[in-house]
Amino acid sequence: MNEFYQKDIISIKDYNKEQLEKIFTATDKLIQLDPSTRREISKGKTMAYLFYEPSTRTRLSFDSAMASIGGNSLGISDISSSSTQKGESLADTVKIMSIYSDALVLRHPLDGSSRFAAEISSKPVINAGSGTEEHPTQAIQDLYTIRKEKKKIDGLKIGIVGDLKYGRTVYSLLYGLGNYDVDVHLISPESLKIRSDSVYEIKKRLSFTESTNIEEHIDDLDVLYVTRIQKERFPDEEEYLKVKGSYVVGLDLLQKMKDTAIILHPLPRLDEISPDIDGTKNAKYFEQAEYGKYTRAALLGLTLNENGF
Amino acid sequence: MEQSELLVRRIKEGTVIDHIDEGKGLQVLNALRIDGRDGSLITIALNVPSGKFKKKDIIKVENKFLKDDDTNKLAVIASKATINIIKDYKLVEKRRVSLPNEIDRIFRCSNPDCITNSNEHIESVMDVIDKEGRVLKCRYCSRVLDVNKLKYN
Ligand SMILES: Nc1ncnc2c1ncn2[C@@H]1O[C@H](COP(=O)(O)OP(=O)(O)OP(=O)(O)O)[C@@H](O)[C@H]1O
Ligand SMILES: [Mg+2]
Ligand SMILES: [Zn+2]
Repeated sequence: MNEFYQKDIISIKDYNKEQLEKIFTATDKLIQLDPSTRREISKGKTMAYLFYEPSTRTRLSFDSAMASIGGNSLGISDISSSSTQKGESLADTVKIMSIYSDALVLRHPLDGSSRFAAEISSKPVINAGSGTEEHPTQAIQDLYTIRKEKKKIDGLKIGIVGDLKYGRTVYSLLYGLGNYDVDVHLISPESLKIRSDSVYEIKKRLSFTESTNIEEHIDDLDVLYVTRIQKERFPDEEEYLKVKGSYVVGLDLLQKMKDTAIILHPLPRLDEISPDIDGTKNAKYFEQAEYGKYTRAALLGLTLNENGF
Repeated sequence: MEQSELLVRRIKEGTVIDHIDEGKGLQVLNALRIDGRDGSLITIALNVPSGKFKKKDIIKVENKFLKDDDTNKLAVIASKATINIIKDYKLVEKRRVSLPNEIDRIFRCSNPDCITNSNEHIESVMDVIDKEGRVLKCRYCSRVLDVNKLKYN
């Protein structure tokens, strides 16, 4: 019996190091399998997705993950065309969707929405982004990428740059990194520092420095994690324009970095990483996207099969 | 019992909430919805000398006995308060308030984007993560809440 069977995936904070390592090992194994064996893992199972916020990337990543293990997916990705637009509650929608499926993938703008959905759903709920703090499968994907590309996570120096205030992937990643012995440097404009109401929780898990200057620790970093400035979360355009483009990673910056450093990005990117970087051996964000598919496939496989795979 | 605490006539049946932190008395009244509308006798004493250098607030309410929700609110607002139950003019029971592990319904999460503040049919659940420091955390959005800014449902 695998411990992830029928379990909700709500918050990265619910996972300890040992559990994360189990997920990573399962992902390694899944990658090794040949495609036809892989397609047996969730044959005949259905994943339903329910996206209250636009996201093609995460949704497609789940879709392709489910397809790769032989399952089906169905759902609502454009909530404006659905009955919720007519005022149906999240609770009712979740109840119905859980009847149609074996697992439910939810993205919702409100904080705590997936925990609520999990209480209502008769099937496991996988949080694909709720509110501003949680995106656990992204964090698992990011940690897996670091582990795979650097062969370890403990002992690394990790810089996280960009919008740290509104970027939920950052919070999930920080909580996840809290399980490891890492040095974290947070780099952002003053107005986009991590939120003070989350600092208490993060400080319990790891120590970090904050700076507005990306050059400060650049020659020391093993991993540079770049995030997009989220335009949609800004109260007004003017504020957005002020900070947009304050940190662009280009070849000049790359030259100051360790030869072995890797650059990650949850994607989609705008202009925060210059396309010149794409061809370098340091750019790992497309690999990261691919690992996202495999980590999600592994998570789905573990959630849907009593004895794992 | 100090004479200065009996300025007003004694109550026959009811509750004396004593040792409320100085300045929190009115907040307690508000939270416990003690407004005197039912006509019963209420005595409020603010800034009562207590010990050598300290002051406290006291609330005495006739015909009211606190329910669990009230006690929990009290524990959050004034952790040093004592609840004294009066029956037939006599003090029959004295309790210190203490925080439970979990507080349901009574407080509103201070995060406006929390699902518990939406139109969904859902009630707040807060975990008390540090009883000494009175630190509460919303079970849904995980926000750590400032007890001094909590609003009641
Ligand atoms: N019948 C009554 N009517 C009104 N107030 C009362 C009555 N009996 C007791 N009290 C009040 O209840 C509180 C507790 O009474 P008690 O006799 O236990 O005082 P105490 O020994 O000072 O208690 P503590 O150690 O909690 O300070 C006091 O504030 C007292 O004035
Ligand atoms: Mg006394
Ligand atoms: Zn909340």
